[in-house]
Amino acid sequence: MNQNISFLLNNTAVNSDLNPASVTLDFLRSNRLTGTKEGCKEGDCGACTVICGSLENDKLIYRTVNSCLVPVMNIHGSHIVTIEGLNLNKSQLSPIQSSFKNEGASQCGFCTPGFIVSLTAYFLNADKLKSKNIMEYIDGNVCRCTGHSSIIRAAGNLKFEFENAPDDFNKRLLYLVDKNIIPEYFLTVKEKLNDLHIELTDNNTSDMPDYYVGGGTDLFVQKPDEMLSSSLSFIFKKNNPDIVFKDDGYCFVSASATVTDILDSALIKKIFPGIAEFSELFGSTPIRNNATLGGNINNASPIGDMTAFFLSLDSDVILSENASERTVSLKDYFVSYKKTVISRGEVLKYVRFKLPQSKYFFNFEKVSKRTYLDIATVNTALYIEYENDYINKINISAGGVFESPKFLSLTSEFLTGKKINAIVLREAVRIAGTEISPISDARGSDRYKRLLLSRLIYAHFIKLFPELIDIKETL
Amino acid sequence: MKDYDIIQHITGKSLFIDDINVPEGTLYAKVFYSKCAHGKILSLDLTESNSIKGVIKIFTYKDIPGINQIGGIVRDECLLAENEVHYIGMPVALIIAESKFIASEASKKILIKYEELPVITDPREAFELGHLSIPPRIFESGNVEDVWDNCDIIESGTCESGGQEHLYLETQGALSYPLEGGSLKVISSTQGPSAVQKVVSEILGISKNKIEVEVTRLGGGFGGKEDQASPWAALSALAAFLLNKPVKLILSRHDDMIMTGKRNPYSSDFKIGLNSEGLILAYEVTFYQNSGASADLSPAILDRSLFHCTNCYNIPNVKATGYCCRTNLAPNTAFRGFGGPQGKFVIESAVYKAAMKMNVEPNFIQRKNLLKENDYFHYGQKAVNVMSGISWDKAEKDFDLLEDVKKIRQFNSVNSLYKKGFAYMPICFGIAFTNTRMNQANALVNVYTDGSVGFTTGAVEMGQGVNAKIREVISRVFSLSHDKIKNEPTNTTRSANTSPTAASSGADMNCNAVLIACNNILGRILNSAADDLGLKNSDGLSVKDEKVLLNDNDTGMSWDIIVENANSKRISLCDYAHYATPELYFDRDSNKGNPFRYHVYGTAFIEVTVDCLRGIYKIDSVKAVHDFGHSLNPVIDLGQAEGALMQGLGWMTIEEILHDKKGKLLTDLLSTYKVPDLHFTPAEVIIKFLDEPNPVGIFSSKAIGEPPLMYGIGAYFAIMNAVREFNSNAAPEFSAPFTPEKVLLKLYENNFSEEALSPAVNNSDNKSI
Repeated sequence: MNQNISFLLNNTAVNSDLNPASVTLDFLRSNRLTGTKEGCKEGDCGACTVICGSLENDKLIYRTVNSCLVPVMNIHGSHIVTIEGLNLNKSQLSPIQSSFKNEGASQCGFCTPGFIVSLTAYFLNADKLKSKNIMEYIDGNVCRCTGHSSIIRAAGNLKFEFENAPDDFNKRLLYLVDKNIIPEYFLTVKEKLNDLHIELTDNNTSDMPDYYVGGGTDLFVQKPDEMLSSSLSFIFKKNNPDIVFKDDGYCFVSASATVTDILDSALIKKIFPGIAEFSELFGSTPIRNNATLGGNINNASPIGDMTAFFLSLDSDVILSENASERTVSLKDYFVSYKKTVISRGEVLKYVRFKLPQSKYFFNFEKVSKRTYLDIATVNTALYIEYENDYINKINISAGGVFESPKFLSLTSEFLTGKKINAIVLREAVRIAGTEISPISDARGSDRYKRLLLSRLIYAHFIKLFPELIDIKETL
Repeated sequence: MKDYDIIQHITGKSLFIDDINVPEGTLYAKVFYSKCAHGKILSLDLTESNSIKGVIKIFTYKDIPGINQIGGIVRDECLLAENEVHYIGMPVALIIAESKFIASEASKKILIKYEELPVITDPREAFELGHLSIPPRIFESGNVEDVWDNCDIIESGTCESGGQEHLYLETQGALSYPLEGGSLKVISSTQGPSAVQKVVSEILGISKNKIEVEVTRLGGGFGGKEDQASPWAALSALAAFLLNKPVKLILSRHDDMIMTGKRNPYSSDFKIGLNSEGLILAYEVTFYQNSGASADLSPAILDRSLFHCTNCYNIPNVKATGYCCRTNLAPNTAFRGFGGPQGKFVIESAVYKAAMKMNVEPNFIQRKNLLKENDYFHYGQKAVNVMSGISWDKAEKDFDLLEDVKKIRQFNSVNSLYKKGFAYMPICFGIAFTNTRMNQANALVNVYTDGSVGFTTGAVEMGQGVNAKIREVISRVFSLSHDKIKNEPTNTTRSANTSPTAASSGADMNCNAVLIACNNILGRILNSAADDLGLKNSDGLSVKDEKVLLNDNDTGMSWDIIVENANSKRISLCDYAHYATPELYFDRDSNKGNPFRYHVYGTAFIEVTVDCLRGIYKIDSVKAVHDFGHSLNPVIDLGQAEGALMQGLGWMTIEEILHDKKGKLLTDLLSTYKVPDLHFTPAEVIIKFLDEPNPVGIFSSKAIGEPPLMYGIGAYFAIMNAVREFNSNAAPEFSAPFTPEKVLLKLYENNFSEEALSPAVNNSDNKSI
């Protein structure tokens, strides 16, 4: 069952026989690296945040991860940085640590290492520090003591002090070492990773595994104990040089693309120029760094954000088994609560959608109890081709209002060919109400979810076409 | 400064219980708890779980050598269930295994059968059935009945406030191991080491002097570890004692959320009477407190609701009744504010409703009725050094709030998608344990012969900076730099019979005890130095930056020399001191007296924006003038104020505890229970220091832990105002938290066609997640 796992842990090479499904947090803590804390073990608090550096096309890329959800198999060949690996010699403090001290940005201290680690990742990861919001890098860290005000001040001071760091990665490393933001050993990491001699052989334990494991952000929340004794195939970031690409009039997105990969893709940004506006609503930075598109879709959660997004693009999924492939419309992919048409042995390879041709608009709406870092109560995405005052094409998806992610086919059908005005939308909202069957749960009552979806449908149009519809007309 | 602790934190070196290197042979514990909220245990079958390799032993109540009782105020709570269970999460058995994983697997194999009994989750229902943990409590002043007829305005209504999960980032836990001679050491994440010692002693049936409880620090407490750290310490101690092995018990987040109590939810009735000028003449309130399945600290919490039911208003006629209602939920417990916030939310609701009736802004009534110097609280204490009006007026002037209000009105007149709302929130909070006996502390201060200092007290460090404040006191008395002063872990063998670190009083009481000890030591050392210098006595002698001064002139002697000399003359360099907060008394029959040492005041102004399309909202700004006294440490005090404020805002908005009718907690993970995150933090949080000296505070300071939480209450009314700007048909309802769900439903209440809510074609039994 155990496998040989090699990685660079701070400045030390580790080579251990481990259960590949054991999580990184447990490994760290059992090896007395106790600065990484267990706060929730479901990726919701950030106390266990570590930085994971991996070589991608000979480039060293550093990202934060929730170590409680990362199986050690997924860190094979990587550089793992914990708080202990950020401490400088001779009890000198890094500027990040000093900034926390000066602002009193740590009270009980349990969440603090996670914050320091996440802020360090900002300096290691962001291309252009000036244009990047430093707060985004700590959006997965929760502090219960400070109310975050002092942490925001500490982070703000850091951004101000160091945002002129060079963009080039190698120069950046030298700069960060010079400024004591990271210890000197970071300069030799690439070399050391190359020396690890990672065998990138296929480590599938079975042709018919119980589970394919991507980033693990759902499986290791739902059933971490079961993972330890299941046959697993780890497919995170493997054999997928093309994350997002164009082919034959379609945009293809690899199922193993993480949310971060998708949001960072130049092609996606070009197709959806407004995506940055709602991208922060998808999980947190460390979750986005690990959660894959395939995982989000195959989990078949009625409230998957990426699922709602791609449903509204009338996407197809491409499934493969050995040499054969089949294409299924995402609309037909979900059969019941958490069930899809995928059969055992099949792998979700790509999601594709037709490249928009005519004048189109896109919008995504999500409401949850807490605006950020929360699971949607209701989400919905809208894709619309609108020209000469008529809707040529429209797709509306909705999550949280049905047993599976819902394509609002009747509503979309009704709106096709219509003008946008209050009367039409009122009818559309009424039809949408007949397509859904929300239930009451911890995220909200059925009545609330109905009202909310109706308001979010209006929100799509009010946001995209403010001159055509006013909130007062929706009452 | 707070340097020592914070440096450990930012370098990841601070050791919490789960970080301590365990002794060899440590075993791991897992609690098996009831899945039934009320029932008789028909059978408990441990056979299969016992047969799992690596399981050492499974304990039940039958194994308890002492008494199976952990109730603090009322003796009504078992450590392990006997024949009945009273809530989901009630501990039934304790599995001890070689690893955490094995213990957890074994707990899944325990078979239990229940005969289900009726489940009550609603406090009013419990009240109807007479399920009260203590007799009703009534605080009365004047006579409300005589006054109603004289009131021009009378409003009444109901008010609900929800529970609140503490969500200390470090879950509950303990590590216990046997010492020689049948003694035991218990390292516990507790705010009350002496409470743990008492519970362990009773459970094991051994005397307190055989139980050493130690606490280095907590990863957050907020009241959740005042009384409710004890069961986990007692369980690990039970196993360690019976097996003669070290045993560690750390709760998973999920288990912690299910098994531990929360802030008490309240359902309340109010009636308020005013004259036409807006002066409050009478206030009547009845609190139905949801105590959960046992009393825990609820009776004391209820008392504080009764003390603070009038907030900072001078009301001549008050009748406040409190019922401590027993339900089938995990026993609710202390949470920062300790009943104060629950009481204040009701009076603020009453004021809001009265303001609507009078067609004035609530702040008109609030300002008009603020306490003044020498007014009397309804519990008979005279209000002195009152900072109510001062903080209000300073906030209004320094922040130019009238201009803010103008801008808000302007915004609302031109925006239809978004509406803004504001609220003033003045506070008043009494400092002391309302149980007079608990207002005592002790401290041990050791000056070593090289001049360095060590101290230990009963205070528990949980991030509030109590040790830094104590260091500040020592530093001022001995004129030493902080790095020469070290704290030792809180330990019952050094500080015995202590009160929990709670009621915002930890720094006040323990600093005072330390001050006495330091002064005693300094007196002896200066007398000795006088002798060294050939002086008659120590008059005019002082120490300053480690130099010995005579009438402010350098004597050439230094601190380390006079310390060393004193020791050589066999003069004690150490002192143990005890402090009892003076002038406190309270008669629990008449409910009159002088229960508090002083009061903390302040005023906040809160501004919110509601997205009227989506029902979501943002707290834009909180500006407050807070009565810190002369702060002992402004960085720490500001952090406490900001942190408490955010917990208050969370309690009023997104922190929602939900149970189903069977008593099952639905919000039992961080994915369903949401606390404020980084984005939730208002863009503008400004807390100004009023900086008026507190004549009875240590170095003129004031306590800080709890009071600022109550500024958060204003958020409820600010959101309500914004909602009513959009929907004038919305009837005000007082039901916190004001979640996005409640906001959306309020925005569209009687305000749109309900076609969209028509039922669906099919109604399959689907689930979310």
